[in-house]
Amino acid sequence: MNSNRIVLFVAIGLLTIMVVANSINSNGDYIPLDSLEISAADNTENFSKLMDVLTHPRCMNCHPNDNIPKQGIDRHPHYFDMARGEDDHGFKATSCNTCHQSENNPYSGVPGAPHWALAPASMGWQGLSHEQIAQRLLDKSTNGGKDHKALVEHLTQDKLVLWAWEPGVDANGNLRETPPISKEEYIQVVEEWFANGAVIPVN
Amino acid sequence: MTINFTLNGSAETVTLSDDMTPLLWVIRDILGQKGTKFGCGKAACGACTIHVNGEAVRSCSYPIKFAEGKKVVTIEGLGTLDNPHPVQQAWVEKVVPQCGYCQPGFMMATAALLEKIPNPTDEDIDKNIINICRCGTYYRMRKAIQRAAEIKANELIETSKTS
Amino acid sequence: MGENKKVSRRKFLVRGAVGTAGVLAVGTYLFRNPIRRQILAYANSADSPYMGSGVEPLLWFELTSANKIRLYSPKVEMGQGTFTGMAQLAADELEVPIAMIKVVHAPSITGNIDSFATGGSTSIASLWMPLRELAATMREMILAAAVENLGVPKSDLKIKNGVIKVNGEQITFAELAEKISEWPEVDTPELKKISDYKIIGKSVPRVDLDDKVFGAPIFGMDVDIPNMVYGAVVRPEHIGATFITADVSKAQNMPGVLKIVEEEDFVGVIAKSFIEAENAKHAIKVTWDAPTNLQLADIENKMKVGNGKPTIIQKNGAEISDPEVQMEFTTPIGAHAQIEPNGVVANVTEEGATLYLSTQVVAITQKEVAKRLELDTEKVNIVPTFLGGGFGRRLHTPHAMQAAVMSKAVGKPVKYFFSRKEEFQHDMFRPPTHHVLKANLTDDGNIAHLQHDFSSGDVAIDSALLPSALNSFLGADVGAIRGGFCQYLNIPKIRTTSWHVELPFATSWWRSLGLLANTFAWESFMDVLAEKAGKNPVDFRLAHIQNDKSGERLCNVIKTAAEKAGYQDTVINGKAMGFAASTDAGTPCAQVVELSIVENQIKIHKVTCVLDPGLAVNPDQVRAQCEGAIIMGISASVFEKMTVKDGQLNPTIYGPYQMALLKHAPKEIEVILLQGRETPGPVGEPPLGPIGAAIANAVYRITNKRLTSMPFQEALQNM
Repeated sequence: MNSNRIVLFVAIGLLTIMVVANSINSNGDYIPLDSLEISAADNTENFSKLMDVLTHPRCMNCHPNDNIPKQGIDRHPHYFDMARGEDDHGFKATSCNTCHQSENNPYSGVPGAPHWALAPASMGWQGLSHEQIAQRLLDKSTNGGKDHKALVEHLTQDKLVLWAWEPGVDANGNLRETPPISKEEYIQVVEEWFANGAVIPVN
Repeated sequence: MTINFTLNGSAETVTLSDDMTPLLWVIRDILGQKGTKFGCGKAACGACTIHVNGEAVRSCSYPIKFAEGKKVVTIEGLGTLDNPHPVQQAWVEKVVPQCGYCQPGFMMATAALLEKIPNPTDEDIDKNIINICRCGTYYRMRKAIQRAAEIKANELIETSKTS
Repeated sequence: MGENKKVSRRKFLVRGAVGTAGVLAVGTYLFRNPIRRQILAYANSADSPYMGSGVEPLLWFELTSANKIRLYSPKVEMGQGTFTGMAQLAADELEVPIAMIKVVHAPSITGNIDSFATGGSTSIASLWMPLRELAATMREMILAAAVENLGVPKSDLKIKNGVIKVNGEQITFAELAEKISEWPEVDTPELKKISDYKIIGKSVPRVDLDDKVFGAPIFGMDVDIPNMVYGAVVRPEHIGATFITADVSKAQNMPGVLKIVEEEDFVGVIAKSFIEAENAKHAIKVTWDAPTNLQLADIENKMKVGNGKPTIIQKNGAEISDPEVQMEFTTPIGAHAQIEPNGVVANVTEEGATLYLSTQVVAITQKEVAKRLELDTEKVNIVPTFLGGGFGRRLHTPHAMQAAVMSKAVGKPVKYFFSRKEEFQHDMFRPPTHHVLKANLTDDGNIAHLQHDFSSGDVAIDSALLPSALNSFLGADVGAIRGGFCQYLNIPKIRTTSWHVELPFATSWWRSLGLLANTFAWESFMDVLAEKAGKNPVDFRLAHIQNDKSGERLCNVIKTAAEKAGYQDTVINGKAMGFAASTDAGTPCAQVVELSIVENQIKIHKVTCVLDPGLAVNPDQVRAQCEGAIIMGISASVFEKMTVKDGQLNPTIYGPYQMALLKHAPKEIEVILLQGRETPGPVGEPPLGPIGAAIANAVYRITNKRLTSMPFQEALQNM
């Protein structure tokens, strides 16, 4: 079991508990969490909202577990058999950027954002449980060496992540569906969840 | 908005009210180069494939504003009858085109492929050349792509001999 | 026949060289072949498909100052290689190198347009006699003119390699033309012997190769004329939608918008650029009366044998009431999906209208535009361009009329073309089909009685293309029944019935028409019956071929294909072969497909194709047509399918409309050409026949399950 995540056992009726476990602070140092005060209910709600976002097709489509990007709200495999390639950017001559630029295209309906690419294979989420997704998200060995601070920054500031709330129109000119909560609420959820130690609830 | 870029080596300046206008229409309708084709306008067929700073780009889905300061090359700039690009030479040798409409896009995609992978395997070709041809010239295309790689390799040998 | 005299000599033009305007010469062209004359007499009286426009004289050749010969083609070039074949036919009789001939599309103003169409794989076959005769006549005119002008006897003259040799000296055609004010009239000479031809029968490169490799602006979409603006037309997204009202108030004030045209049958917007026209088009709010409940299942239920109007097309036996073997097959709605969208540039002025477009129907388009603008037909000049794919899609080009209306309204040339979504939703689709086959076998395992009932939507019926008398064969749709006749005539009892089912959306000509679907059914069933009879599929087919000339040609393609491919009806190392054959418009074709199934995907390794088109004017281009037809057939039978959901035809873009990509094309295609007759026959469509059945037959070897519906990839997932 990785040491940089904590498992929260929720006791019925106990709104605030003290957790004895390890987590990492914003500098990436491991600290004991015995002094951290967390509202279990709030944490669970934040966690669940965060997961609703991360598992929405807008996010999940580019976090596949099979090297095939997905498209659309029905999560179909990317047309023309586009795939991860050697560097997550598609194939050498026909890459993601052959069609996807750094902005959405209102005429073609091709979505775009800066550094458009698949998430690294280690960040494949498709088919995983919420707990497993969170583990991959928090684990430095899978998340590209990001500590909590870097993760919060990535999740709340990266334009490719936030593209989910400005996904533009599809090939038919219809607006793409956005994740279930607003961008502002999502940012708040991320910040709170991390501020509270990024605790993964276990049922 | 005014955008400066080079098209097939010549400096161009265009002024457009909508800076999201696809580069395809600037090339075709403002600059009058018709070799780059409109097939679907959705980056699905590849008929509009060109090179921007050496990378294959589907120009129907590339806003003009991103072309600022960049080098744009189309089929007209790839090679000429007197000095054909190896891809064009191979296409002529293998008599690839039928209706011909999709062919510039395929040739541009192939030229980009050979820059990245000079000696592509069948798998490299299968993955990278994903434009659509309705006449079904794929069979000859594969032969032409392999032949183009051969011509290009020979040219490199010739160049290194003479230099 | 008294009529003969009137029609047997037709005038044609050789337009003059070297800056001289107008017509320098009128030649006469005598059709030598008496049967041909009769056909012509009939054609002229019955207005049936024939290439001549009825306007005489026709411009065929033009000498240019650069000593080139411009050959005005009444047929359009859509990739099938007709221009190359025509140049070959003309060059051999003119005694000029092929590089001296530039084939161009004849604008309707030349009179030299096809009153029917370019399609049906008939171009080279139908031009085989007349074009060579025209070229030979022109050669004789040039010689006669040289005799008159140079004052030498004809015996001292010789044309070689595009120059006239006179007693050791030489003069070019262009130099001679400069001296001539009136060209002599000559009679059409005897044609050369086929064995004397040096260019016909040779694999010369395509004449349009350089244009197509170096990006020349040769397509309808590439036409640019001064002051041109852009039009767009609002089209409904639902099947059967009727226009009620349009709110154009927002669109009117959008950037670049010049004019909105509200006609009874369409609303168009004209703007300075394509993007501005498109943006404004989307801003027009149209109210349609549109039914939204139609689903694919409704279409599939409709498209059943037993529905609609039956016509027996082959009757040599009763219906089978107690079949030993019975099977059903279906094919889906297919889209043309040609890459160049339908489009046109229309320039309507006080003088008349000029329209530039990719079309397979020059004369019909001319008439449609003239009628709409209330102009005399001669005032409408249709200038055909190279087609970015035809496949039958451009046998309907009424958008020319819409562009003409917009051009007239705005007083400027208007370019108008379809969006890809409009291409998919407003295609004239290949109709879906349903097939029921029944058979009884004899005790020794031969077919005693065979019955095929197939249903199809319109192909030729209700088409503007053909005069009504010609679109049906004894009441059956002439398009739907392509490939519908059983080619195995050594069967005691055969009964074939075509059922015509009306569909709520337009269906029409799609390369090879009914051939792909009908052959899929026939030839799958032949394998089923061979297995039942315990016989090798190839031997089983051969045993049922009638002993006559066409039977012999069919036998030859089947035997050759089996032999060259090393056909075996067993699976070896996961690879299996599938066999199928068809006869289309007199051209037999047999194919052997070698494939395997990898991760539930059909992987086609090799196709061996044997075709007997008669004389192959350009063997390399005949091979190219076979390769293309095979790959298009793989695309259509393995991947493609249009569907209907909530009253809309879908998908509307490539990708969702899945088509074969380069990786799906076999790495090996071996084409073997046989020549079972002396003259050229149809090439472009016949090789589309066997491919679907051959794939299904091979898949059966591996899976022991029979694919009975296209697209096969979907059928395989559902099996």
